[in-house]
Amino acid sequence: MHKPHVDRPASAPRIRRRDFIRLAGPFTLLLAAGPAFAFKLFDIIDPEQKNKDLRRTRQVLDGVTGMAQSIEGIDYQSEFTIGETLALEGFQRYGQPVKDQRLQRYVNLLGNAAARNSLRPDIPYYFVVVDSPLYNAFACPGGIIFLSSSLVKGMGDEAELACVLAHEVGHVAHKHALQSIQRAKFFEGAAKVGTVGMKGEQGQKYREMVGDLQTVLFDKGLDRNMEFEADRSGMDFAYRTGYDPAGLIRVLEMLARQQATATHKGSWFSTHPPLSERISRCKAAMADYPDAGEMATAKTRFLSYRDPS
Amino acid sequence: MKTISVRLIMTFVLLNLAVLAFADPDKVWVTSEDATLQSERSTSSETVATLKRGTQLSVSTFENRWYKVIAPDGKTGWIFRGKVSAEPPADIASDSGSGGIGGLLGGLTGSSIEADAADSSRSIRGLSPEAQEYANQTGTPAESRAALDMVLSLTMDKSDIDLFLKEGKIGEYAY
Repeated sequence: MHKPHVDRPASAPRIRRRDFIRLAGPFTLLLAAGPAFAFKLFDIIDPEQKNKDLRRTRQVLDGVTGMAQSIEGIDYQSEFTIGETLALEGFQRYGQPVKDQRLQRYVNLLGNAAARNSLRPDIPYYFVVVDSPLYNAFACPGGIIFLSSSLVKGMGDEAELACVLAHEVGHVAHKHALQSIQRAKFFEGAAKVGTVGMKGEQGQKYREMVGDLQTVLFDKGLDRNMEFEADRSGMDFAYRTGYDPAGLIRVLEMLARQQATATHKGSWFSTHPPLSERISRCKAAMADYPDAGEMATAKTRFLSYRDPS
Repeated sequence: MKTISVRLIMTFVLLNLAVLAFADPDKVWVTSEDATLQSERSTSSETVATLKRGTQLSVSTFENRWYKVIAPDGKTGWIFRGKVSAEPPADIASDSGSGGIGGLLGGLTGSSIEADAADSSRSIRGLSPEAQEYANQTGTPAESRAALDMVLSLTMDKSDIDLFLKEGKIGEYAY
């Protein structure tokens, strides 16, 4: 008789609370101590892996670090190529670059100024303002960053723009997009994009992976905690550069005012956590910037680019 | 055996935490690209040295957003607050074997590429052959390819960015 598959029969022993606590403590502490040393410590304490608890802890730790390695294993050029192909899709989805080359250069100068003080200052960043009625911005892996013309029009000063660009730089620095699709089949074996080509089975996996990225960045949005992390990074990078970190709060408040009438599909409204929660968290973070009021807003310069005569 | 192993691990971690808790507050690390050491609290003063990211500096004093520091080679000067951090860059910390959570997450939170690779990446112009092949395979419209070519042609060098900040009196140029 056919037996239906179940992951764990009801009669199988469950992980007891005592076991969980016994494993969770050492595991958490080892994670904080550093995995490489932890594995060496395991070898010293239990070289034959006879201890059940240590064996389990080693397995769990191995799984976590292996996940990190799968993304870390992607070289920069492959990461950038993934970003390029996603950018090609982005232009089709959100529109072409605005023709104002003066504005494009301005955004690139400001974005790269903030990126110099980011967690990942050693790669080039490219910023583009696209002609779109949606309030939107997103970052492709490797550092190609999109910003909609409507979002720029809604801003009031250079600090606001700096914070938004720095928020997107934060996504690139943290490799958020790649983390979101790290289980894609393309990454099995840590393939390099340049060596596999775009044809055949691997090409198909690559296109599927780019499709997954589009779903994440254009429709579903990144994990909410990634957005909160990027908000925090954006404020920090802008502040370190010399801008008022409250610029991000002003942008979020502007978006909140537009929320009732703006198009949501494919915009920051549908791909980001609720604005009220983001504003609340950013306001709490302002405690870390006691001299924020003395930082630059550069309103006059910003307006000369936003509204050229 | 179990008790001994757990105690060993906990002792090791507590030692690590103690090291972190008592980290030297008079040390900072260069975390930005293109950081310089100035003779005075101003970018218009003489540049004493150009500092590599990850360089550890000893702090003498802090005045109006500038640190007075001593570099490893003994040179003394001022560096703007935004260029340093109380902790070393995560990727550099993990490379140097200092461990800690930054070591585990270094590849996720920072850059894992070497400085040489980053320098060569700055010379990228136009679509890569792989992106062109992707565009051919998927029938990407010519205008989208042209758009990406335009974006990748917009490269900003250090002097462009410095001038931009200087004109706006931003950050270290505000004084």
